[in-house]
Amino acid sequence: MAGVLFSTWRGELIDNRNKAIDEQTPSAFALPENYTADKASKAFIGWDGVALFDGDIDVVKLATQYAAQYQVYSEACGRCAPGRWGGRILYDLLDKIARGEGSYSDIDHLKEVSETMMLTSKCEIGRTVPKPILDLMEHFSDEFSDLIDNQKSSKHYNQEVNYIAKVTAPCSDMCPAHVDIPAYIEGVRDMQFSDSLSATRQTMPLAHTCGRVCPHPCEDACRRTNLDSPVSIMELKRLGADYETDHTLPWQHPYEPKPLRNDGKKVAIIGAGPAGLTAAYYLALEGIKVDIFEELPVLGGEVAVGVPQYRMPIEKYNKDIELVTSMEAVTVYANHRVDAARLKEIDEEYDATLLAFGTRLSKKVGAENEKPDMQGYWGAISMLDKVNLWHKYRIGSPAQEDLKDKVVVCVGGGFTSMDVVRCSIREGAKKVIMLYRRDEKTIIGNTTYEEYHEAVEEGVEFIFHSAVERIYDEDGKITKLLVNRFELVPDPNGGRAQLLKVEDGDFEIECDYLIPAVSQAADLQLLPAEWELAMTSWGTLLTNGKDYTTSREGLFAAGDCEYGPMTIVNAVGQAKRAASVMVRYLDTGKISLSDDEIMEDHLKALKVYDKKEKVSGWMPGIARENSEKLGVEERKHNNKEVNLGFTGEEAIREAERCMRCYYISMVAV
Amino acid sequence: MDIRENRAQKINVTIDGKVCEATTDDTILRIARKNGVYIPTMCYLSKVEPIASCRMCVVEVEGVEGAILSCQARATDGAVITTKSSNLHKQRQNIMKLYNVNHPLECGVCDKSGECDLQNKTLEFGVNTQSFTAKDMSRPVENWGFVSYDPALCIMCEKCVRVANEITGNEALQISTGGYKSSIVNVKKDFNDASLGESAAVCPVGALVSTDFKYTSNSWELDKIPATCAHCSSGCSLYYEVKNDKIYRVTNDFEFRSLCGAGRFGFDFANENTSKDNEAFHKAITAFREADTITFSSHITNEEALILQKLKEKYNYRLVCDEAYGYQQFLKAFGSVSGESLYGANLESLSNSKGIIVLGGRINDDNPMVKYHITMASKRNRARVAYMHPIEDSNISNIVTQFIKYEVGSEEGVAALLANALLQDKELPQGLRDFLNDLDIGNISAESNIGEEELAALVQSLDKKEGFTLVIGSDLYNHPRAVQIAKLIGAIQKYSSFDVLLVPPFTNALGVALICTLDEKVGNYTVGYNAVGDFELSCLGEGDLDMPALNQQEGTFTTIDKRVVPTNVASSYNGYVLNDIANALDLKSIYTIDYTSKLPVKAGFKAMAFDELPFGFDIAGVEHRGYLLVSKPIKAIEIFEEIEEIPAYDGAIIYRCNLNGQFGMLSNRTKALKQDEIYLKGSVQFAIVSKISDGDEVEYIVDGIKYKRIFKLDSSLKGTIALHQNYDMGLSSTLVSSYRFSHLTLEQ
Repeated sequence: MAGVLFSTWRGELIDNRNKAIDEQTPSAFALPENYTADKASKAFIGWDGVALFDGDIDVVKLATQYAAQYQVYSEACGRCAPGRWGGRILYDLLDKIARGEGSYSDIDHLKEVSETMMLTSKCEIGRTVPKPILDLMEHFSDEFSDLIDNQKSSKHYNQEVNYIAKVTAPCSDMCPAHVDIPAYIEGVRDMQFSDSLSATRQTMPLAHTCGRVCPHPCEDACRRTNLDSPVSIMELKRLGADYETDHTLPWQHPYEPKPLRNDGKKVAIIGAGPAGLTAAYYLALEGIKVDIFEELPVLGGEVAVGVPQYRMPIEKYNKDIELVTSMEAVTVYANHRVDAARLKEIDEEYDATLLAFGTRLSKKVGAENEKPDMQGYWGAISMLDKVNLWHKYRIGSPAQEDLKDKVVVCVGGGFTSMDVVRCSIREGAKKVIMLYRRDEKTIIGNTTYEEYHEAVEEGVEFIFHSAVERIYDEDGKITKLLVNRFELVPDPNGGRAQLLKVEDGDFEIECDYLIPAVSQAADLQLLPAEWELAMTSWGTLLTNGKDYTTSREGLFAAGDCEYGPMTIVNAVGQAKRAASVMVRYLDTGKISLSDDEIMEDHLKALKVYDKKEKVSGWMPGIARENSEKLGVEERKHNNKEVNLGFTGEEAIREAERCMRCYYISMVAV
Repeated sequence: MDIRENRAQKINVTIDGKVCEATTDDTILRIARKNGVYIPTMCYLSKVEPIASCRMCVVEVEGVEGAILSCQARATDGAVITTKSSNLHKQRQNIMKLYNVNHPLECGVCDKSGECDLQNKTLEFGVNTQSFTAKDMSRPVENWGFVSYDPALCIMCEKCVRVANEITGNEALQISTGGYKSSIVNVKKDFNDASLGESAAVCPVGALVSTDFKYTSNSWELDKIPATCAHCSSGCSLYYEVKNDKIYRVTNDFEFRSLCGAGRFGFDFANENTSKDNEAFHKAITAFREADTITFSSHITNEEALILQKLKEKYNYRLVCDEAYGYQQFLKAFGSVSGESLYGANLESLSNSKGIIVLGGRINDDNPMVKYHITMASKRNRARVAYMHPIEDSNISNIVTQFIKYEVGSEEGVAALLANALLQDKELPQGLRDFLNDLDIGNISAESNIGEEELAALVQSLDKKEGFTLVIGSDLYNHPRAVQIAKLIGAIQKYSSFDVLLVPPFTNALGVALICTLDEKVGNYTVGYNAVGDFELSCLGEGDLDMPALNQQEGTFTTIDKRVVPTNVASSYNGYVLNDIANALDLKSIYTIDYTSKLPVKAGFKAMAFDELPFGFDIAGVEHRGYLLVSKPIKAIEIFEEIEEIPAYDGAIIYRCNLNGQFGMLSNRTKALKQDEIYLKGSVQFAIVSKISDGDEVEYIVDGIKYKRIFKLDSSLKGTIALHQNYDMGLSSTLVSSYRFSHLTLEQ
């Protein structure tokens, strides 16, 4: 049975209970009408309302179970008076009515407790739990009255129904790794830094790293934005990790790692970047033997050899890496290039293999006379490799020998190109120019305001609406570029503005280096052709984006080699999910998702964050804290970390801005 | 950067019609309290960051929908705030109804009755019936040693957890979440920690109580005697709570200040059942007439110290106080360079620091308030805490960010290295600069075993920070090179951005150091006042003449905060006091406290009479207790000597260090703190070097006193230094004239 019979979700009121199929109003929201492909949902109840899909649903029991899930099973609460006692009373009173012992004073008490919970609870979970319960009491008052009047139990009171609940938050939902953000922020607020770190590491082992260089999509879904400005979610993550490192405390795992299994099963991971490390960590926590194969002499993938020291100090990243490599179950083979032949051996030898080799081939800019072997043509990945291997590991030689007093032009617009131009400044380039096809606003959107602003401060010249048409060389050495100018022409019909080439707008730039940083591709040579692996149209491994299985059994893929060049947190999120799927695969031989993961995907489809919601109960106008940054002269000639991070006071103040927007939702199956 | 500096801006807000000045850093609740506006709370505790569990403090703000949590919400300019309305009253009343769900109605047998916030607020909000109910749970009382926890009474306000984390730093109490089942858990149950008393003190209900006090008295039957703790130099304010001349317990103004375990539980050290023993008194007078030396302990009031000084001036006694002599010399030498008679820091500035260096003391055991204030700085400010000492201490890894180990005996070199590191880019007089430039850094590094990179890392970790404190412990005061070390520390006070805290080593060591002209060596015949002597005046009840203990006297102490604070009589005393002897020796004063106004102004005291000294805190938490000493300028003479060769400390070493919150002769007399078995604690390595094993009885001599101890292996210790304790030695425990480290020579 499909279709929404009744819904109060997010302010809609749909009542199709007595309507013919063709008269039914559809819901405007992606409600989880089907729990899985072969299992229909009976009802969905959550922070913003309730939806019924099955006419036979026992609404009083549904309300009771929702209160029960909040009180009994939800681990998030019990830390404020209204939530702790109020939640328990909701459950006790609803159950009293449901079992046929209720009275109308119980209804009054329910309403009174609900009002106090909604006004005064500490977290949104306490403030929102009464909402769908009140909806049911209002729209199904006859059913409640019937039970009270006749002192009878609700229609399916003794029947077993499967209720699956999930706690989420707008920020956690938006985070690809679904980090329990309110929990780690609460840890900072309470100065329980180990708890904070532990919360992060439930789904994110790279706390130092993602506390520094995560592009924080979560902050775009921060409900605080509806009130004033988003919480500085990303930077607060550093606190827990720094606490562990500063005080040289033992590793704070989210739970005690399980003893190494003795079942002979083992997993291979190709690539020791964020995805590989993440998967290794969560497999190792489960006691599963993991071998990581890494081509480079150093671990950490692009974050190690791509992201510069001034943004992500290697000594901090090494702590994240050590967390993983210190696990008994993990063995790392560095300097170990896996090619197609080796991959076939690995595939044979291991019970499951995760491909996590990233995208390490710089794409061309697409100009005339573009020959990668010409002198001065330097792919971003290889240029950053050189810079970082030298500064972080003293491998190779300083890039300064190449770049000092030179004119460097970078074509890009994303994080990698920012790293290229800012590193070029630090290596002593005379002039550094960034060419970008689109405008300032878009480059900020692609990266961050801070990143762009700091590059400008350091002296990078940005030329927007521009693209290289032709590269000139003398005897195989780049001399200058012919650049076209574009302009954004609004569509008179109100459509999307078009980038049009400006006639006579061409100009030339004399330069020594052209560094393409437009995008990267995966190195597909390591995949055995005879496997005929399904690929995306953009040349990465194809999975369904939920379980990360490739078209070959036992072969999984996560991170950039699956998605294309994307963020660290995206790689972490995919790898965490892949590890979870692999654990079950090793046990059962089957690919499956846990209830928690199924709910995670449902909520993502439904969209947790509502940017139009009016937030009440919080003081508006409390400014977001800004951590101190090194001044431009203090930073542009060295690799010191630019962002000094929050002081203790700033961190606590910022953590106090978090509104703890936990929500609980539940599906009856 | 300038945005940060101007962070806290001045604003005006209106609360219940009253215009209040505030800053953008202030919470609504703090502004309200400062301006005398009452907002009810159940979980708010002024001395910690807002907890926000009770939700009682909600207020209304004009133009803002919903109820605003005033304890945590900072105010914005022009905000118009209402703290009282029928809706707010209803919500607060409902919260009180919720708190009363299943709260056992057994106030008659609850210790908290009469001083219970739940009781008070239940009455205040007119909750006469338990209108909501929920299924009850069976949850037994847990005995955690000094304190007991009754989860059935607990309202989960979380104050106790906050205190354990943010102030005492024991981190023993945690929240076990889980809806209605949530409770407080003690994750360190095996370690009976007296500092949990601080968590019990802030409990608003009867959930966390003193195990010993339980069922002994109703709170309203007790008289509160304002006093000052006698155990250490922090001189914390407290109330002895008394009934029928018996002290039942100690409480304090826990809203603003804290007490350690000894302060809270170690109160029954009075010298009881004394009377005026005329015969003994006359013998005492004879002894004084015969004596050429008075030895004494710094467990003494300022007034008594002044009496002894006056006796010295009149009769030319040598005044010997081992506990204060080294400190006095150190303070003088320190001042000769810093140019000030007193050090710059205090406990509050310590807790506000962003960078702290501790040199020459054992943070975890020497002075609990110093540890608590470092903990506050660590937790709230993320302060860098560098701990420099020969013995690593894993107990405090939660607050220390860098441990710098140095060789025993090398403190002079360490101080020089530190001065060199902290003063490297400061403007210095030529003499000092030359002295630093001439230091043989390589040699000192090698001898002290401090790597240059360790100090470089230390200096780097303080980069871009401000607010620094250098805490000096008592390892340095009796060091053979104390004077030179003190001068180097004085230079750090004067020329670096560090403020120095010279932690006074014993209760009133600072007062004694400022009041008395002390001598180093005793003469032929000594009268000991709470110290070993040929004739002993003792508050321990075993001497030749009884004396009152410090909770049986009125007078003043001088605390680590450079504050002169009053204490009062909590337990009656019927014998003779020092003033009686002084009067017999022709110093004429009716009462000891007549000397309060005569304390030397030259040394920074004020000519204030005892009865004029205030006691307590104002509504904003500002302390008004006694008065602050005035630091006097001293003509600086910067002459530094060459660093001496470091004597070798090879083999087994022992370090004088009282553990378990013990301080000296008073603490071990108390029922709660008394230890039957006192150990020499050392590592496996120590045991091997000294050829002893766990459980062996060993005998050794320190400061001329013979100790017989059981040796106990302590897995938290490393290296060849053992911890030696002397707090059980009565009057002999005041004989501490030597460097804290010494070679262990076992008696056969």
